[in-house]
Amino acid sequence: MSLLPEVRALLDRALAGTTDPTVRAAIGDARRRLGEPLRVALAGKVKAGKSTLLNALVGEGLAPTDAGECTRIVTWYADGPTYAVTAHLRDGGTRPLPFHRAGGAVRITLDRPADQVDHLEVRVPSARLRRHTLIDTPGIASLSTEVSLRTTAFLDADADRPAQTDAVIYLLRHMHAHDIRFLESFHGDDLAGGTPVNTVGVLSRADEIGGARLDAMAAAARVAARYAADDRLRRLCPVVVPVAGLLGAAGATLREDEFRTLAAVATLPMADVVELLLTADRFAGSAPERRAALGRLGLFGVRLSVRLIREQKVHDSADLAAALTAHSGIDRLREVFAAQFVGRSEVLKARSALAVLDEFLDPDSAPAAEAERIRASAHEFVELRLLHLLRSGRLPGTQAQLAEMDSLLGGAGGAAYLRLGLPADASPEQITAAAREALMRWQTLAEHPFSAKELRTAARAVTRSCEGLLAAIS
Amino acid sequence: MATDLLAELAGARRLAVAHDRGDLAGRLDRAAAELGRGDVTVAVVGEFKQGKSTLVNALLRTDVCPVDPDVVTAVPTVLRYGREPTVTLQVPSDDGALEPVTVPFDQLSRYVTEAAPAAGARAPRSVEVRLDRRLLGAGLSLVDTPGVGGLDSAQGNLTLGALAGAAAALFVTDASQELTAPEVAFLRRVLERCPAAYCVVTKTDLHGEWRRIVELNAGHLAAAGLDVPVLAVSSFLRLRAQARDSTELNTESGYPRLVELLRRDVLDAARAGARTAARAELAFVVAQLRERVAAEQAAASSPAAAVTLVQRYAEKQRRTRTLGSWQTVLGDGIQDLTADVDHDLRERLRTMLRAGEELLNESDPRDTWQDFQAWAAREASAAAVDNLMLLARRSDELAQAVATRFDLEYEGLELDLPSPEPGLGKVSELDVDFHRSGMQQFLGAFTAARITYGGFYMLGAIGALFNVFIAAPIGLIAGLTLGRRLVKQERERQVQQRRQQARTELRRYVDDVSFHVGRDSREAVRRTQRLLRDEFTARAAAVERSTAEAASAVREAAALPDDQRAARARQLAAQRAELDRLA
Repeated sequence: MSLLPEVRALLDRALAGTTDPTVRAAIGDARRRLGEPLRVALAGKVKAGKSTLLNALVGEGLAPTDAGECTRIVTWYADGPTYAVTAHLRDGGTRPLPFHRAGGAVRITLDRPADQVDHLEVRVPSARLRRHTLIDTPGIASLSTEVSLRTTAFLDADADRPAQTDAVIYLLRHMHAHDIRFLESFHGDDLAGGTPVNTVGVLSRADEIGGARLDAMAAAARVAARYAADDRLRRLCPVVVPVAGLLGAAGATLREDEFRTLAAVATLPMADVVELLLTADRFAGSAPERRAALGRLGLFGVRLSVRLIREQKVHDSADLAAALTAHSGIDRLREVFAAQFVGRSEVLKARSALAVLDEFLDPDSAPAAEAERIRASAHEFVELRLLHLLRSGRLPGTQAQLAEMDSLLGGAGGAAYLRLGLPADASPEQITAAAREALMRWQTLAEHPFSAKELRTAARAVTRSCEGLLAAIS
Repeated sequence: MATDLLAELAGARRLAVAHDRGDLAGRLDRAAAELGRGDVTVAVVGEFKQGKSTLVNALLRTDVCPVDPDVVTAVPTVLRYGREPTVTLQVPSDDGALEPVTVPFDQLSRYVTEAAPAAGARAPRSVEVRLDRRLLGAGLSLVDTPGVGGLDSAQGNLTLGALAGAAAALFVTDASQELTAPEVAFLRRVLERCPAAYCVVTKTDLHGEWRRIVELNAGHLAAAGLDVPVLAVSSFLRLRAQARDSTELNTESGYPRLVELLRRDVLDAARAGARTAARAELAFVVAQLRERVAAEQAAASSPAAAVTLVQRYAEKQRRTRTLGSWQTVLGDGIQDLTADVDHDLRERLRTMLRAGEELLNESDPRDTWQDFQAWAAREASAAAVDNLMLLARRSDELAQAVATRFDLEYEGLELDLPSPEPGLGKVSELDVDFHRSGMQQFLGAFTAARITYGGFYMLGAIGALFNVFIAAPIGLIAGLTLGRRLVKQERERQVQQRRQQARTELRRYVDDVSFHVGRDSREAVRRTQRLLRDEFTARAAAVERSTAEAASAVREAAALPDDQRAARARQLAAQRAELDRLA
């Protein structure tokens, strides 16, 4: 039996075996969630650019954004037949809310104090939201170090804590790694229980690094690489992708008139262009439509667009939109996102459901024992846990061994070619050959008397992954 | 204004020399030197990557502070006036004392940025750069502080500690976002230590919404009850203005306002303090000179009173010798102060230790050790900095107490002396008592903070004490196949073991901190005591000498023949008039 039906059956049994209404409600919820899209939270400090990134990911200017602090209530954006907003109240009730759309953004009118609202749910007909629900969170403004020290407790080797979300995208601003708050960016709350297997880091507002010069994205890539090399950070999230959310959002929603505004600037004499793009003030002050374009693209986006148009690299708004998207890094984020979350959504969802059982059931009851058995036997879980250990730095082995183990276990994505480190167009023969070779290597390691005990155990699990790859091909 | 004061000091000095009072002339020399020296420090502080170094560069129109999109300043850089550009590193030697090392000018970035420390070389504690710039020449010195580790870290605390000697702080935050809660909290602590702070919003060229941000920031500061003016600048435009020699761009950059503010509000305010102190010294010296002149004048103009006067001064002289209860105040005060400061430090460290142990009990040191070290360094430096602030405050209070006592004593001198006979007009002017206000103003020149902190980054060593690494034992991965609960037990045991190890390390660290800070603070107490004792002893000697000389002058004047006495009286009246003009 594959993982999801097995977990679903277990939840049904657990539901039948209890009469406690809170437990029933919790398990019922968990059961429903198995059928719903993966829940992905966007978390990070205040003004990290969470709403902007959400807009870029959905490809629509849904979430309102502003220069000052903006998002104050947790808001879910999910696929639905029509636009609709529902408030989920703290007392458990739900009610529809009126809203209007201002320039694409869904502006919601609250009919009660914000502290009575647990979260808002915005339904949007969107293909992009069909596979995962995105959750926009208010920023974490200031936290004490004590919290940060406690947060790292979620590194504990099998932190299968129940959480409302299945995966997390953490947004970091450019920060110093010695910053005592550095890791706090990774502190969610109950909502965002991130672990190294369900977390992707984003270096946000990448276009602002180094003074919005045209090499900003290159500087951002350097910073992201430095982050990814930081041991502590690697244990929290294995990948950090630099993303200019503003560029991504603009690329997704660029309008013809905006392109014309930028194209008109690009035709001015060079000296005038330089003068105009010197400061945000000059550009915004020269015409109302330019001010609007600046608000949408940011100074870096405007500079980049004008340069691309001048150099005839782009010729119309579609070209420019594509170029902006390419520069934003959003595509790379989507790739990572797909590999880390979407490909693994079954096991992530199953994991969330089992965590609910752990919380609500007596550890000696039959369903709890069954949950334990699923965790220990389902190979997806073994892979996930092993990845977790690996990334937490708890496995012995050489750098090369660990890196190979990470990808064979599906760390870069579940597809066979990703696991084997082959190009996307690798033939079945190539895959078979590579998988066989890996299988041999890891089998030797698993049986080698000098291998550390932990490494041997891990190597056995890796051979199972390799066998799985071979089985899938034949 | 300063020149008038210098002329007055010179005038008083001439009189002092004429009266053969070398001791008083020496005091005036020192006051005049102090007035001219006045090095006014402005610290540039703020979060990582807000443009602090760029601001210093733009302000001084230089490129001496290294700027990079990712690498950060790691060492405080002091910029002072110097005709020849030089760079001097303060490198700690084996015994902890700082040694100056001069390096080539273009090598600066090798030493002050984070990536820098050359292999084997000791990292400098601070760097001094001398540059020929008008703003520096006016007596300003700028300190570019490191943004490493954020405001609420060990480094942030050390920056706060260094602020005690600064006349003002420029708090730098960029226009990409409004002030955050930690930034406001830091500003609040800045204001506790530094007479003035300004919030400078940088990078206005990059952010179209900067006016909103300035407005929001002003709102946040007002809401927090902080009196901090907000300015907006663009360093990019300022540097471009320099390259193009354009006044217009310079004005647009917002820097002229900042320069004006530094010159007018900061420099002048700091100068006013120095002038007040010099004036107080002048008043003291004039009072000393006047005592003798007035007494002699009284004796010369009315010989009938001479007998009383001779008696009066003999008595006063006798009493002066028995005075000195201010010494008791000083001695007792120092003892109390030492005990209190010591207790305070111990209490702070004990609290820290307790909090640290609680934290360790809640987490696994293997995962949190690195953060825990940062936490411990932050708490320890906060404890040390706050403890030093207490020491500075208490030293100030003690100086006050000693000064008050000194005043009371010397004022009380005259209280029940035989009063001159009524009807002797001139004699009523004789009550040249000790210049009280002058005495109190001496405290303006006594900056306990400067004595206490003894220079920049005395605390620099604290961060470096804690470098132990707790090895992370390999976790069991038997959990893959074994029951989770069994694994949990084993893991729990390992965690306990690591916690124990971490607690031992923490205690050792706290002991080290206690030792270092305790030693520094005892040193500071000794400096304070020596300074107060020397200062008041010198004053007491000056007063005693004035009294003795007045006594003998009265005797001599009374003994003069009539015609000579009248001439002497005229002479003295002239001298008196001159003294009155001075103070």
